[in-house]
Amino acid sequence: MSTVDAETMLVRVQREDFSIDEEINRVRNRSTRIGGIATFLGTARDRSNDRDVSRITFEYYEGMAQKKLREIRERALQDFDVIEVLILHRYGEIDVGENIVLIVAGAMHRADAFKACKWCIDELKQITPIWKCEQTPDGEVWVEQHP
Amino acid sequence: MIVTVKLFGMLKTQLHNESESELKVSLDQGCRVDDLIAAIQAMNADVGDLLLKRKILVSVNHEMAHGETELTGTDEIALLPPFSGGSCTPWEMLADVYR
Repeated sequence: MSTVDAETMLVRVQREDFSIDEEINRVRNRSTRIGGIATFLGTARDRSNDRDVSRITFEYYEGMAQKKLREIRERALQDFDVIEVLILHRYGEIDVGENIVLIVAGAMHRADAFKACKWCIDELKQITPIWKCEQTPDGEVWVEQHP
Repeated sequence: MIVTVKLFGMLKTQLHNESESELKVSLDQGCRVDDLIAAIQAMNADVGDLLLKRKILVSVNHEMAHGETELTGTDEIALLPPFSGGSCTPWEMLADVYR
């Protein structure tokens, strides 16, 4: 796989589910210097704002969302002592319990991997144009940013 | 000139009463984002107010724009309602691990 293809696989917005093991290995295989890998996995829960949720639909801004995720990865690689970062977000209809978003940060040491991983998911939620619509007993509700 | 404005999330129904994802707005040549906001406010005061309060943001060519940003007919313009987010509680707990 070329460098460009490999980097494309490290930042993705996709409809289909993903394998956490495969994505961790994608980061692990980037360097034998990696000694710690931190992950964040966001999943669809069945309760939000005191309402039952039966399904979530994610919408994203094609082009801008990918651009922002690439920027997050590049900034994480610059600002933290990490060797590789993967960012993956799903869109479309997602059932309760399914995977939504995955961050994988690989570093020589765990502290740097944890810090980069946390920063990436926080930043993703701040600057990435992705919207969540929850299916509730009262109908569909578009969710605004949480604290 | 006619600019095409992409709509997302709740804005599709707020501005169209249907699930259309684009809005056509007629503006004078050399207009700025502030002029676009004024035009949208004339169509829908509620959405216009949210734009003025910056609860809804405007992007131009995939970057956040400000009121002074000039627009052309070829720009890719979008109205961005608040992005979705999640609770940060687990991370507050995790922070103790690497502090």
